[in-house]
Amino acid sequence: MKTKLAFAAALAFLCAAVPAVAHHSITGEYDPNKTVALAGTVTKIEWTNPHARMYIDVKQPDGSVVNWNLELLAVSALVRNGWTRTAVKIGDSVSIEGIQARSGASIANARVVTLPDGKKVFSGNNDQ
Amino acid sequence: MKKLFVLALVVSIVPVLADAQGGGPSISTQRRKGPPEGPVPRLPDGTVDLSGVWVGGGPINDIEREGGMKPGTLDALMTPKAKAILASRDVTQEPHNRCLPMGVPRVTPFPYRFVQTPTHRAATHLFILHEGNIHSYRQVFMDGRKHPPIEELDPTWYGHSIGWWEKDTLVIDTIGFNDKFWFDRRGTPHSEQLHIVERWTRTSLGTMENRVTMTDPEMFTRPLEFVFTATLSPPGDELLEYICQENNQYGQQTIPGFNPATGETKK
Amino acid sequence: MRRLSIIAITVVGVAGVVYAQGRGGGNQGVQTDGGVRYINPGSPTVSDAEATSRPIPRLPDGRVDLTGPWIGGGSNGDIERDGGLKPGELPLLPWARELRDKRLAKDEPYTACLPMSVPRVNPYPWKFAMSYTSRGLSHIYVLHETGDAGAHRVVYMDGRKHPPKDEWVPNWWGHSIGHWEGDTLVIDTVGYNDKFWFDSRGTPHTEQLHTIERWTRISWGRMVNEFTLDDPGAFSKPVTLKFTARLLRPDPETGIGDLMEFICLEDNQYGRAGGLQGIGSGTSNQR
Repeated sequence: MKTKLAFAAALAFLCAAVPAVAHHSITGEYDPNKTVALAGTVTKIEWTNPHARMYIDVKQPDGSVVNWNLELLAVSALVRNGWTRTAVKIGDSVSIEGIQARSGASIANARVVTLPDGKKVFSGNNDQ
Repeated sequence: MKKLFVLALVVSIVPVLADAQGGGPSISTQRRKGPPEGPVPRLPDGTVDLSGVWVGGGPINDIEREGGMKPGTLDALMTPKAKAILASRDVTQEPHNRCLPMGVPRVTPFPYRFVQTPTHRAATHLFILHEGNIHSYRQVFMDGRKHPPIEELDPTWYGHSIGWWEKDTLVIDTIGFNDKFWFDRRGTPHSEQLHIVERWTRTSLGTMENRVTMTDPEMFTRPLEFVFTATLSPPGDELLEYICQENNQYGQQTIPGFNPATGETKK
Repeated sequence: MRRLSIIAITVVGVAGVVYAQGRGGGNQGVQTDGGVRYINPGSPTVSDAEATSRPIPRLPDGRVDLTGPWIGGGSNGDIERDGGLKPGELPLLPWARELRDKRLAKDEPYTACLPMSVPRVNPYPWKFAMSYTSRGLSHIYVLHETGDAGAHRVVYMDGRKHPPKDEWVPNWWGHSIGHWEGDTLVIDTVGYNDKFWFDSRGTPHTEQLHTIERWTRISWGRMVNEFTLDDPGAFSKPVTLKFTARLLRPDPETGIGDLMEFICLEDNQYGRAGGLQGIGSGTSNQR
């Protein structure tokens, strides 16, 4: 029994933070091969389900701005990962790593968010 | 043993990152240490106390693998009708994406609770409250009643459940399902003939076994047996609110041609 | 047997909604109304006459049993009227009164299968599920019909406090803590979002809302909800309203009177007949 639990703990530690599996399958909507890394200013945050969403303005090389819709975990899942309402605010500069929507729209599932203070937090879904 | 960390196996490995805020380890961090250990708690009358915040204990992606069957067994037991339905399905169509119920015995990554409610008589009802899916609950009649005749039952997402105790095992017998929910993301199908018997046994403070027997002559050539294991979330965790339909954008701009009302995608 | 015993009643029961407005189960059986024959299955609602016919039930530990199932006990069409106030008596701030008067019932979030929150009830059964564990009464859950958006509400009974404001994401049911004052269950809630409507009239509120409910089972068949609403963002002062819930007698064979499945989203076509767009089209996008 002890070895089972130890193995489970080790394996769980190596894998993504709980919930490891999404409410729904991510790869239906997002392409795992279309990885994106974005940096921008937060314009809106929706603390909602089934996904919290963060919208950021990303400056393009030509000076124009594109607003990205970033899908995060459900609120309850973020809370269990230690997020609170004050973790990110409108106007904050953040960067994210994620995968883009299959349609090519400016929408991504953000797996990792780097907060204004430099801390990285897990925020997205990771199933295949 | 596989079923214990089936959730973990499905996920590709990503380095564990910091908790977002300080102030003690988050629930996620605590969960990584494994479930709390201890003896099975009991109510004053000796009945096993099923209370606690539970995770897992059912299929999510693939009922065959997650339920402990050898690969290929389930497909070999499918009728031609079931095979045809399975072949026509893909994960973008599943009702769960549109905030519709997951039925039985599916679970979500979100926790659930058993609510035992003795009143001035012995408990007549037992409820299984889900945080996830549509944040709803299952109702199990514990008062000894039988199922109504199936012709008189309006087919529903969760069916008509009657329950009783066999020593320390809670047995839940359910008929009267509709055929609309999916057992897993694969799309394993069923019909309105589905009959499920679950046997829930709390094996320790932190673990609960769910042995499921499913009969559906229209879809499977013999009864199916699965075993799932649920684990207890750390103390301090609670069921949180989760209203799926408050901001569900599934597929709307991410999948070209997707129809949010039906889940179908125009190619 | 029932068909032969015609009970003279003052209210004419018309075939339709089984949960009649509190007059109870009289006049069951085959009826004729305006030449049309129909069967009145009877109402599971305990009538006024029967409401005091039995003692108030208690749990083995002496606590009053609040389980139910119940019907009513909250607002529906008009919180002011349903709560016992005179027209205009609800102390809404001018902007809130203006918003309420502009809103249309067809636009309310409930038509998109979103939760109705407190103190709202719809004409279907609900229950207090008093969750007894090895550590005593840890939670009380309010259960509305399965799948009726936001179907369960959590009341913590373990003495905890509300979390600090900046650690709580406002949501539909808020954060509820409960305690007993004698036989009265007192539920104190903060942390609501501002998205639900108090009634189909559209009476609004803000995230400053703080509610205190005092539930007292005054007889076997009746339970009073004294509901205090304190929202300086939308009201000029706190106000207390009074609602009364009526006990139901569930039928184990048909399930009438007990909680039933109600998956609002499965085929929500609200407004389609009237050509309404948006809300209720089968999905909800609150952006």
